[in-house]
Amino acid sequence: MEIKKVGVAGTVESSDINIVIEPSDKKGIEIELQSTVMKQFGRQIKNLIEETLKSEGVESAVVRATDKGAIDFVIKARALTALYRAAEINEYSWEA
Amino acid sequence: MFGQNVEIRTINLNSVRERNEVDVFLQKQDLILERDVEYTLAMYDEDRIVGTGSISGNVLKCIAIDPEYQGGGFSNKIISLLLNEQYYRGNTHLFIFTKPRNKKLFLDLGFYEITSVDNYVTLLENDPRGLRDFTENLKLQKHEGKVVSSIVMNCNPFTLGHRHLIETASKNSDVVHIFVVWEDRSVFPNEVRYKLIKAGVKHLDNVYVHRGKDYIISNSTFPSYFLKEKNAIVKIHTMLDVKIFGEFIAPALGINRRYVGEEKSDPVTNEYNLTMKELLKDYNIEVVEIPRIKNNEAAISASRVRELLRTDDFESLKQLVPQTTFEFLISDEAKTIIGNIKNDKK
Repeated sequence: MEIKKVGVAGTVESSDINIVIEPSDKKGIEIELQSTVMKQFGRQIKNLIEETLKSEGVESAVVRATDKGAIDFVIKARALTALYRAAEINEYSWEA
Repeated sequence: MFGQNVEIRTINLNSVRERNEVDVFLQKQDLILERDVEYTLAMYDEDRIVGTGSISGNVLKCIAIDPEYQGGGFSNKIISLLLNEQYYRGNTHLFIFTKPRNKKLFLDLGFYEITSVDNYVTLLENDPRGLRDFTENLKLQKHEGKVVSSIVMNCNPFTLGHRHLIETASKNSDVVHIFVVWEDRSVFPNEVRYKLIKAGVKHLDNVYVHRGKDYIISNSTFPSYFLKEKNAIVKIHTMLDVKIFGEFIAPALGINRRYVGEEKSDPVTNEYNLTMKELLKDYNIEVVEIPRIKNNEAAISASRVRELLRTDDFESLKQLVPQTTFEFLISDEAKTIIGNIKNDKK
């Protein structure tokens, strides 16, 4: 899946995460994360975002995420929504 | 429950009454509703404003929450809405000016500090790679030399006065880097100003023209925030601008001299120049002031050019601008711009 423009989803309110996905001229997925639970879950959140994007076939992207203690489902949903917006895709394949 | 009737609404900026309400609230927090805001939200509890935030260009500003309502997640809500509005508008690289004592709030909301001036102001951006990418990119355009000069200019539009300043710098330096103020608040759009400068300095092979995006802070971006210290605004703005220039931009290009046009008649610019001279010493950057050149006893300035455009006085105009600018001014492309100058009542 190709990132065509900047896609955003989420808020910076408590229990949510704001995810911004941008095109990148480098290969790979680069994630800049800021989180209220950075020490406890920073790595896990990054991994989850990366896996979510990879499972959709993203090879290159810059991600900026501001986490306010979101749980995994929320992180995944926000990542997918931001991605679909960034890739300008309107047909969603939501599945568990 | 406390704050359960809180509701956030968009302010109709055309309504004097609504603007006033927000302004009165902000004044209690030592802020004002600045004139250039394009979008404003206010948080109401019943009919009383208890929080607000605004957008202007790529800046979030005039943000305040009633102290009684702080800590309830309300500021996060306001910022979230402002961020969404910005992204919707296509602005993804965002900035906030705030007091250093409030910076923690924004650092927790995805903003990163660029720099601070003492207790006065902190500038933040929402992209941790923003400034780094900007300076990395500048480093690629570095040219070695003993005297590496820089000029920051708006050129609205490019005149013989500007050309004289650049030519003087070019003659006395090995390399000259020009930064065009990128903020679009001048009648001549940034790309046009950039294009006219480039065309006008083509004959100087040691001059490089850059788009002064985001990190060259013009006084129109700088908030008039500090109500109590109104007289200090110019000074604080200069301190911030100079600090970013000295700390990040100058080292990336090896700049050790800065040229400015002498500005004795305009107290604001004069104050700016004096402060800059003083502060850049710390970064081993010398400031050189160049007197303005004259035509018929009056200094050549862009404002004089705009005045002549208003009256279609192309004959007099020809004496004040380089051929390249003149050709643009008589082209079809310039018609809308000249129309805007004429419509502006000022």
